[in-house]
Amino acid sequence: MEAALRAGAADDAVAVLRDTTPFGDGSEALLQRVAAIARPARYDAGERIYSAGDAADDIYVVVSGRAEHVFMPEVGAREANKRVPRGGVFGWAGLLLGQTQRLATVTASEPTEVLRIDTEALVELLESEPLEGGHVMERFAGMIQRDFTLPTLLAQVRRLSGPLTEEMSSLSLTMYRLSLWLKSPRPYLMVIGFALFLGFWYFAVEIWKLPRFREMPGITGVVKEWFSPSPTYGLSLYSAEYYQHIAMSVWRVTQAFVLATVLGVPVGLLLGWSRKFKEYVFPVFETLRPIPILAWVPLAIVMFIATESAVVYLAFLASFFATALNTMLGVESIDESYVRAANCLGADEWQVFRHVIIPGALPFIFTGLQISIGVSWFSLVAAEMVSGQYGLGYVIWTSYVMVRYPTIVIGMVTLGLVGYTTSALVRIAGDYLMEWRVRELALTER
Amino acid sequence: MDMRRPAAASTRGQILIEDVVKVYDPDGAAVLAVDHCTLEIEAGEICMIVGPSGCGKTTLLNAIAGFHEITSGRIVMDGEVLCSTEQPRSTPGPDRIVVFQNGALFPWKSNLENVIFGPVVQGKLARKEAIDKGRAMLADAGLSGVEHNYPGEVSSGMRRRVEIVRALMNDPRVLLLDEPYRALDSLTKSVMHEALLEIYYRNKVTIFFITHDLEEAIFLGHRVAIMTTRPCKPKKVLNVDIAHPRDYGVLTSKRFRELIEETNDAVHEEALKAFQAGEKEG
Repeated sequence: MEAALRAGAADDAVAVLRDTTPFGDGSEALLQRVAAIARPARYDAGERIYSAGDAADDIYVVVSGRAEHVFMPEVGAREANKRVPRGGVFGWAGLLLGQTQRLATVTASEPTEVLRIDTEALVELLESEPLEGGHVMERFAGMIQRDFTLPTLLAQVRRLSGPLTEEMSSLSLTMYRLSLWLKSPRPYLMVIGFALFLGFWYFAVEIWKLPRFREMPGITGVVKEWFSPSPTYGLSLYSAEYYQHIAMSVWRVTQAFVLATVLGVPVGLLLGWSRKFKEYVFPVFETLRPIPILAWVPLAIVMFIATESAVVYLAFLASFFATALNTMLGVESIDESYVRAANCLGADEWQVFRHVIIPGALPFIFTGLQISIGVSWFSLVAAEMVSGQYGLGYVIWTSYVMVRYPTIVIGMVTLGLVGYTTSALVRIAGDYLMEWRVRELALTER
Repeated sequence: MDMRRPAAASTRGQILIEDVVKVYDPDGAAVLAVDHCTLEIEAGEICMIVGPSGCGKTTLLNAIAGFHEITSGRIVMDGEVLCSTEQPRSTPGPDRIVVFQNGALFPWKSNLENVIFGPVVQGKLARKEAIDKGRAMLADAGLSGVEHNYPGEVSSGMRRRVEIVRALMNDPRVLLLDEPYRALDSLTKSVMHEALLEIYYRNKVTIFFITHDLEEAIFLGHRVAIMTTRPCKPKKVLNVDIAHPRDYGVLTSKRFRELIEETNDAVHEEALKAFQAGEKEG
């Protein structure tokens, strides 16, 4: 059944390897070497290639025909049965950490030609080329986790020479990006920008004592107060009260933001999707939207007896408009071809909505959420200044009333930092949900 | 052997366009886009529609696909009326699938997810079966290895092939291609032409292919219909008597050159008319 690889057949073997996921983008030299250790074999229809529990020795690449691949139930694979066509790779159990036995039973479902590659020989070969070999192993890990949908824990591929599991590779990618960033001029420009800004503050207030800046708290005073275990005005990194204020503001923004998202996204989707709904709602929407949040304050206090809900309501209102409007624009921006294509492929109205409208609008929705979290902070602070107890806006306002100038600046800087963190969290959530977009943008290097 | 007959005598996918008229905006400034157009597309053939940009050929495709209404006339597929004066708009469906000019793979779904979309939303195949079929068809089209990439991560030539595979997964009667290779560079285009023929030889589906490129039309088609510019109707229908299967050698053959010469004048004349009328692209 087996024969040594003829000279001419080596090229064919390289061609098959080109078609596989793990070896597909390997160099010609590497594929030649892999082809050299591959042995061709053929199986008749219905012939068993190996059974679960056998020793995991060779890796198989399908050259022609098709093999029926059935995982044993204990593995817990999400896709237990699959047919492997040309270019498919199976029998990689020997590459898994601590795995010496076959995890599946494989039968040729028609006359099938394969290449058999000895696992140990392959690992040895890949280790001799740490860079490319590592890449091949990474592709193996990716293939096993995606194509064969094994539980991640089980699919820990053996290490060649360095970190190679999926998480590790994404970590190394992050490190790589970080090093690129550090090598580019951007971080230094950022540092210079901050230095200029803080330097100006220092000189304007404490050295030159410019007329407009005479009453301003100086940078040294603010920093001293902020880091002081016993602050003059009662608020610093060491006081529990400081964190109470932060927690209060964050909690209010969270409520407002979540509510605005839960209501704003569906309203926006409907506005973009249904012409009739838009005709009813949009004129009202566009009349209310430009009203500044501060103009709502008296009405909010009248509407909600409790100050707490009035404050959240104000923060919610601005967020809601931003989210709904951007979601609507997102739906309207979707290329008609996608909807037509989905119709051609037999999707009904609801399926178009689910598979085309929602994912298609997602980039705009997340732009909306970025704006939404920003305006939510903005209106929250305004509302906290007017009414309410606790919260960063409240800190800033009462410090002004009680002439605690350094505390004002502490409140402002804290707002900046907390606000930045929340919008970064929204961005991360967006990148997570729109992997396709992240990958596409990475390719165009934007 | 009658060389102008389709490679495989297929019984599905015959389309009759009968006396179709399309007027845009019948109430205001009426623009006659298609004027009493009659054309028969035989089952299993590759029928190429050639005309200058904006001549109204896409209007015909949209009428067959069910994206637009017709003003009068009739379009019949395999004896079944798709649209007529009484019922001016057909319902889009998986028996007639469009491959769009700029590509319409869903960028938020992986290539494999795109390919299985049709059978899964129609409920024709369970997800698992669809995945098996999709993998096999991608592999047949030389596309294994890109299943889990997003369309945005592969070359534009590959995207077009994935899109054609996505259409073929539904076993359509006719593929409607709307200048699918317009945005590709000429080298990629030549590869795509051969790939399309290969897919055609394997799947025997009727192909209705719109283009403004005469060479492309003659290289691929059993028949080439040269359309007049607005209003659109066939000016000349050419039978391409070059035997299938064809490969790129055809391009340098004597007969190919003769056919180009025979039709070039007709095409040029219409292009000139379109240019003078200052038609917008589309």
